[in-house]
Parts: sequence; structure tokens; C-alpha cells
Amino acid sequence: MSDERNLISAGLRIVNRHKRYIFWFWVLNLTLAEFGTAAFRNQMHGMLDQSLFADKLLHGFDLAVLFELLTIPETGSIKGSTMPAMYFVILFFVATLLLMPGVLDGYSSEGRLSREEFFRTCGRNLWRFVRLCLFFAVIAGPIAGVLFGIKGGLLKATDKSTNEMLPFYTNLISSLVIFLIMTAIRIWFDLAQVDVVVRDQSAVRKSLAAGFRHARRHLLRLLVTYVVIAAVGLLILGIGMWSWYTLVRPSSVVGAFLITQVMFILWLWARFWQRAAAVAYYLRETAVVVPVVAPEPIPVQPPAPLAPPPEGTAA
Amino acid sequence: MALRRTILLLSAVLVLQTLANSQATAKAGASHSASAFSIPETSSATNSPTPLSQRVVAYDIEAKYDAVKHALEGSEVLTYHNLTGQPLDRFPFHLYLNSFQPKSTWIREAKAMGSRDVRYEKWEEKYNGADEIKSFEVVGMGDLTSKLEFIQPDDGNKDDKSVVQVVLPKPVAPGEFIQFKIKFRDQFPETQARTGWKRDFIFGGQWFPKVGVWWNGAWNCHQFHVTTEFFADFGVYDVKLTLPQNEVVGATGVLVNAVKNADGTQTLTYHGDDIHDFAWTASPRYKVGEDTFQGSMGPVQLRLLMQPAHWSQEARHAKILKQTLEHFERWYGPYPYKTLTLVDPEPDSAAGGMEYPTLITGDTTWWMPDGIHLPEVVVEHEFGHQYWYGMVATNEFEDAWLDEGVNSYTEVKILDDVLGRNTSFLNQFGITAGEREAQRLQFIGVADVDPMARKAYEYASFNSYGGITYGKTASVLLTLEKLIGEETVQKAVHTYFMRYRFTHPTKEDFLKTFEEVSGKDLRWYFNQAVYGTQVLDYEVMRLNSYPAFWYEKDFKEKKSETVYESKVQIHRKGDFIFPVEIEVRFDNGEKVREHWDGQDRWTRFTYQKKAKVESVEVDPDHTIQLDRDDFNNSRSVGPRAAATRKLANYWNFISQFFAQFLTWWMV
Repeated sequence: MSDERNLISAGLRIVNRHKRYIFWFWVLNLTLAEFGTAAFRNQMHGMLDQSLFADKLLHGFDLAVLFELLTIPETGSIKGSTMPAMYFVILFFVATLLLMPGVLDGYSSEGRLSREEFFRTCGRNLWRFVRLCLFFAVIAGPIAGVLFGIKGGLLKATDKSTNEMLPFYTNLISSLVIFLIMTAIRIWFDLAQVDVVVRDQSAVRKSLAAGFRHARRHLLRLLVTYVVIAAVGLLILGIGMWSWYTLVRPSSVVGAFLITQVMFILWLWARFWQRAAAVAYYLRETAVVVPVVAPEPIPVQPPAPLAPPPEGTAA
Repeated sequence: MALRRTILLLSAVLVLQTLANSQATAKAGASHSASAFSIPETSSATNSPTPLSQRVVAYDIEAKYDAVKHALEGSEVLTYHNLTGQPLDRFPFHLYLNSFQPKSTWIREAKAMGSRDVRYEKWEEKYNGADEIKSFEVVGMGDLTSKLEFIQPDDGNKDDKSVVQVVLPKPVAPGEFIQFKIKFRDQFPETQARTGWKRDFIFGGQWFPKVGVWWNGAWNCHQFHVTTEFFADFGVYDVKLTLPQNEVVGATGVLVNAVKNADGTQTLTYHGDDIHDFAWTASPRYKVGEDTFQGSMGPVQLRLLMQPAHWSQEARHAKILKQTLEHFERWYGPYPYKTLTLVDPEPDSAAGGMEYPTLITGDTTWWMPDGIHLPEVVVEHEFGHQYWYGMVATNEFEDAWLDEGVNSYTEVKILDDVLGRNTSFLNQFGITAGEREAQRLQFIGVADVDPMARKAYEYASFNSYGGITYGKTASVLLTLEKLIGEETVQKAVHTYFMRYRFTHPTKEDFLKTFEEVSGKDLRWYFNQAVYGTQVLDYEVMRLNSYPAFWYEKDFKEKKSETVYESKVQIHRKGDFIFPVEIEVRFDNGEKVREHWDGQDRWTRFTYQKKAKVESVEVDPDHTIQLDRDDFNNSRSVGPRAAATRKLANYWNFISQFFAQFLTWWMV
């Protein structure tokens, strides 16, 4: 357990030492989401900005009024707003893929990475990370498909049961198992990414093999680390939602914005913490072992003979 | 001598009288034997000392249910009283369970329009249902099984077997009785249209051969459609159900006898008076809750059959049931039956939210939070059917809105009162929704597709049927409150119920009651709202203010001194003409109310005041439930972007969340 704690705290130390990465990713996340919201905002401006009825959405949250807004033809199709939002979600994903090598390089370095070094690492590893991502899709996709298929089968089987709670528990447990398996795969690929960056490995397959070896060697330890951090992420989400509901007045847009942004920063922080833990683990595992060289004994030389006594003296 | 003659004469008179009497008695006896049947005058299942309805039918059914095969062997003795005023030589019967066959009209419509339960992507054996008549005898006319023929009065689909007809060798005279003895076999499907089995649960609805209704001078016996429910005559039901002893059973009417048989079965006998259908349910796992409601005609035994995992919600169900009963009794009229059974059906059984006489089904889940009022809405709604479907008993094939829609209106009124106008559907985590708005939402998407006064099976789509029948009807009656007052509408609904209960009123009976009670000619409204597809939509078209004397030399605007000319323009965007109130607000706090009859396409109001117009609102009291778009009913001069910012923030939140979630797993 102490090992896991060490990994968690080592990751925490790294992630806290490089807070600026989280800040910039949050800025990116927010900016792209704002762009993605622009179409929706424009659509709503036309409908709501001069209507007194819109107050029903402001003071409290009347779901029926929202549905009316989305139902009436004057609002137009919401698809027109959904697609831009999706594009910006994908853009954030691509940007993360592009910038992550720099982050991992920063995490594995002792000092602060200069901007040039950061982007050089990003550029150098871009295609490698794209390939890793494709490998991830090829490996994790079918596994997830099979797992969800098994889950569906189990749920269908439990549907015949007269115990109403059985499908729920089956769903819960199978979802947990899927989460653990997918997390294990994520650990493998996180370690492979670290390997690519730290060893400047252009042969991605070798990094995949190295990642797999490292993940398999201490899978439980890594899994516990990842799950604990994910639980923290979940807790952040829960506390954030609860705070939003209890602390913020329904009409306070600023309050809601602040709470949600704190939540998103902390969520990013949780994921970066996992990555930092992976870096810490990798560095420990691959640290160059300097052989301890025993000092060579200084040969004891016989003392030089004293000058011969003068002849004729007694010994 | 004279005395002797007198005695002889008296004796002769007495003999003649006796002979005459005996002949009369013999004649009467002959008449009785020709019509040896009758409809019982019982009232043991109601709190009324006398029958409440004109009883046309008496069903005496014995049925044995095979819980393994989900099948039932039954025999039915149906006594029919010909009160049509004319001889009848043919009788149609509903065989509803035959609708669950791949070529039936019901399934065809479900495939084309969608249904509320099953998608029928692939036909499976478990979907099959059947109601097979094994023998059909008419007392005094012999076995007529071979004379039975399936008919398809609605669509001519020869593969539909949901209606069967028999032509008698001789007609039944007006006022006479006829008795049918029918042996039948049911195969229940996995639950569809709220009948059938799921796991070890069974809901027996629409399960026995049921005679049509002679209505408006003809037989009314429609095929079963995906959008239709039922229509039947009132009468007396005596039903003996035999099922395994481990089954907990609920049924229409009162339980009059229960016998445990040596073969491990039990036979339960139910009796119902002044009802027009009989349904039952069984499951070995029901947990039973019991309660009593003191009604105005006597006590009502409430029986709740709950799923074990929902037992913690038993009190919640009983509470809303009693609140609903109390409101119906207070507002609309008495509930006369001695029992009411609320069934919490098997999860995912497609048996939730249904009504039969004195038996209704609810709908909930084990995790249902208190703030989501789905169980309350369903229980209230289904109980309401006891009045509109159960007692008023309109034709649901042709005038579905008279049941579903009127019931939706009373549902809104009662749930507004019990759970709050804006929270009656949902009140959880600060998110709210009212049942009133939920009804309106159903129809605004299909507002101009079908009129309310359309046969249920002729609607353009399942959505249109639901939206118009339920949502528009409720909205039409809620909007009527603006025209004649809430109390008058409630009084008219009460009058309608009291006058037409246990009859089969028509739409005109319903509409004329409103005109009579209000003393107003409402035809212009009903023609648009009920018979038409006009859409009601008003909007604030334009508003502006400018200094009235802007052209004067040395003109300068001064607050509270400058006179402004303000113009407000209202547009009737839809084709539904309806009078509206308009509230104009000025920036000095003054409010002016205007009235517009809505006859023209638009109108303009002009003011000269030492204040500028700030905002305008059509229907400021929000009483026109039929208005399709509430957002364009008002307009302010200055921008009010707070609501947009709030929604945009939600949108932003969702976008950020998805972006992070995707990258969490994929990068």
C-alpha cells in the first residue's frame, strides 16, 4: 500500500510542480467550448433576449419551458448548434493529442521546460502519438465492444429474473469491471506514451511493448493508483454539482460559471495527476542503475628495505 | 231458490274468474319461458341500493389460467337485453387478443406508426396472442359456431380477426333477452397494449369475447387499433377465476368467494355491478396494502398490489390515490363502487398506466425519487378514468378525447392543487415542471395536424393522436376557463358527469353542457378548437416610442417631462381567432391593459405619455393555454440577455464536460 501511496504522492508532487500545464489546458478547454457555444448562443439570443417569458428559465429552471423552447419551430433545429459544439470537442481532443508529449516531457524533467523545448517535443512526437491513439482505438475499441456485449447479454439474462434489483446490480458490477479493464488499457497506453517521450522512441510498437511490460509487472499497484485518482475526480464532480445546486442562485450565471470552471480545472488536474503518476512510475522503473563499484584495495607493498647497516655492525 | 240461484251464479262467476286467471298465469308463464333470462338487479358491488346503469349485458364467466403456458380456458354465458327498440339478427364480438398477430390491423399500425410498448423489429413467438372461440351456442337457437365470421368494419384487412360476427337464424325482438354460451381459449402474449404476461406476472385485460354496442342506430364494434381503447355496454359481471394457489390476485369488482382446490389451485369469484369490463392480474410476488376511503356514498376498500422492491412507496401510492378520490368526489361527483384496486405491475411489463373498472395500474421504479412525480401523475390519471371511461363511458374508438382529454384536464386541476402548479410533474434538484405545461407540450408540435373530433384510429400518427387527444383537449378546457371562468368550467364538468354517468354521451352532449352551464354561445370556440385544426398564436410584432414633438425648435429630451408617442403592434400569427388581453408597461411604472377581439390579422395601440413604452405582453395572466408559442407573446425594448447567458453556460458546461471526458479516455 505504501508503494501506491508513494506513487500517488509522487504523481501529486509532479503535477503540482507543473500547474501551468493544467491552467493552459483549462484555458484551451474553455475557449474551444466557448467557440462551440457561439452558434447556440446566437440561436437563443434571437428567441429569448426580448421575451418576458424567458424569465421562467432564469429564475429557477422550468424544464417544460425549456422543452417548449426546443419544440417550437421558431427556435429552429438544435442540430445547427450541436454540430459546431461537437467540432470543438473534437478540436480539444486533437489539441490534447498534440500537446501531451510536451506535458509528459515536462513531467519527466527535473527542471522547467522552455517553451521551445515543449513545442519541439510536441512536434517531434506528434505522429507517434497519433499512431498510439490509433493503436488504442484498434485495441480498446473491440475490447470495449466485447465487454459491452457481454454486459448486454448479462442484462438480458437477468431480465428474466423476478428479482428487480438483480439487473441493477448486474449493471453496476459489470460497469465497474468494464471501467477497471478499460483503465488497465489506459495505463498501458499512458506508459507507452511516457516511453515514447522519455526515450525519444520513434518505433511506437517498441513503446507499446515496453508499456505493456511495465503495466503488467505492477498492474495492481498502478490500477489502485489510477482508481484512487479517478475516485477523486468523481468526488470533485459530485461536490461541484452539489455546490452548484446549493450555493448558487438559479439566476446567477456568474456563480454557476465560476463553480463549473473550478470543477473543470480540478477534473483536468485529476487526469494530469494520473499521467504524472505514470511518469513517476516509469522513471522509477527505468532508472539507470549505477553499479556500486567497490574501491579497489590499495596494494600493500612491503616496506622498502632500510639501508644496509654498515658492514661489521651486529644485526 | 233465489239464494240457490244466486249461489250458482256466484259459483259460475268464480269458476270463470279462476279459469281466466289460470289462463292468464299460463300465458305469463309462457312469456317467461320464452324469455327465461334476465339481467340481475344486484348492487352488492356498489354503495348504491339500486342499479346505477341501464344494464344491457350480464357476463357469467368461468376461467382457468395456466400460468406455465400463459393460456386460459374459459366459458362465458352472456345474457343480452335488447333495448335497441328494434329486432337484432346479428351480433358482433370483440376478440381483442387476436390483435397480437403479425398480420392484424393493430400490429400493422404499430409497425407503421409506432406503438407505446414494443417496436416489433422482429416477430417473436412470445408476441403472439389469441382468443379462439371453441364453441358458440345461442340458447334456443343451437350451436352457431360454424356461422361465425370475422369482419373488418374499419379497414377491410381480411387478416384481422379482432371482431367476429354471428348472424342469428331468427332475430331477437325489442325488449327481449338472448343468451350466448361461448367456450373460448386465450393465449396471452408477452405484455402488449397493457395485457399479457411478463416473467411470472399476468395481466388479464381484453381477454374474453365481448359483444359490441348498439349505438346511434347501428352496431359499434370496431377492430382493435394501435391508437384505440374500448367501448362497451354496462352490466353485471360474475367471474370465477381458477389459478395456482401461490398467486396473489387482484380483479375488477368485489371478491365474493375464495376456495382452495385439492389440485393446488384456488377459485376466486368476483362480482361487479354497473361496469362494462372486467380485468384481473396475478403474481406470486405482490405485496398487498389495504386502506379505506370514506366516500360520499359509502366506504371504498383500497387494495394496493405492490412489487416487493417498491413496497417503500406503498404509502406514497395510497396517499395520492386518496387525494385523487377526495378531489373527484368534491369537484365532479361520487365514486359509487365499493372497491378500487391499484396494481403496481411487473417492471418493464408494458402493463403500467392502464384503467379498467375499479382496477388501475400505476407505474414506478424502485429508485423513484420523491421529487419525480411520475407515480402520482399515473395514479391520478388512471383513477380519473374511473369517471370518464368507467362511468361516463364515451366511445373511445371514435371520441378518445372525451375520455383521455377530459381526464387530462381533471388531472391538471387535481395535480395543480395537490403538488403545485409548476411542480406537479417534477420538483427535483431545482428543476421543475408542471403537468399543465406537460400537457401543452404534447400538442404544440402537432397543433395543426388533426382535429380533436376525429376517430382515434384515423389520426395522422401516434404522436398526433397523443398530442391532440390528451394535450390539446386539456389545453382547450384550460383556455375555456379564460372565456367562462374556472368555476364555470369546473361546474360544467361536474354537470356533465352527473348527467351523463352510466350512459354513452357524444361530443355534442359534452359541448352543449358547457354552453348550457355558462349560458354562452361557445360554438365559435368549439368550431375552431374541437372541430378545427386552427392554431392559436399571437405575437408582439413591434413596439417603439419617440418624442411626440421632436420637430419643435430647441427640442430636448427630459425625463418625466418629454411627451412620447408610443406604438404597440400585435399580430395574430395563427388562424385561430381568440380575444386577448394585452398589457403595456411604461418606464415610469405605469401599466395599461388593452383588449383585442383578434378578428383582424393585427392591431395597433398608440399612446401619448410622458414615459416610453418598456414592454408589452399578450395574455399577461398566462391563461391562454392553447397559445402555441409563449415566447413571442411578449417583447421588451431593452435586451434581456440573462436567460440566454444562463442557457449558454449550460451548453458550455456540457461541451467542456464531453471534451474532457473524451480526452480522459482517448489520449
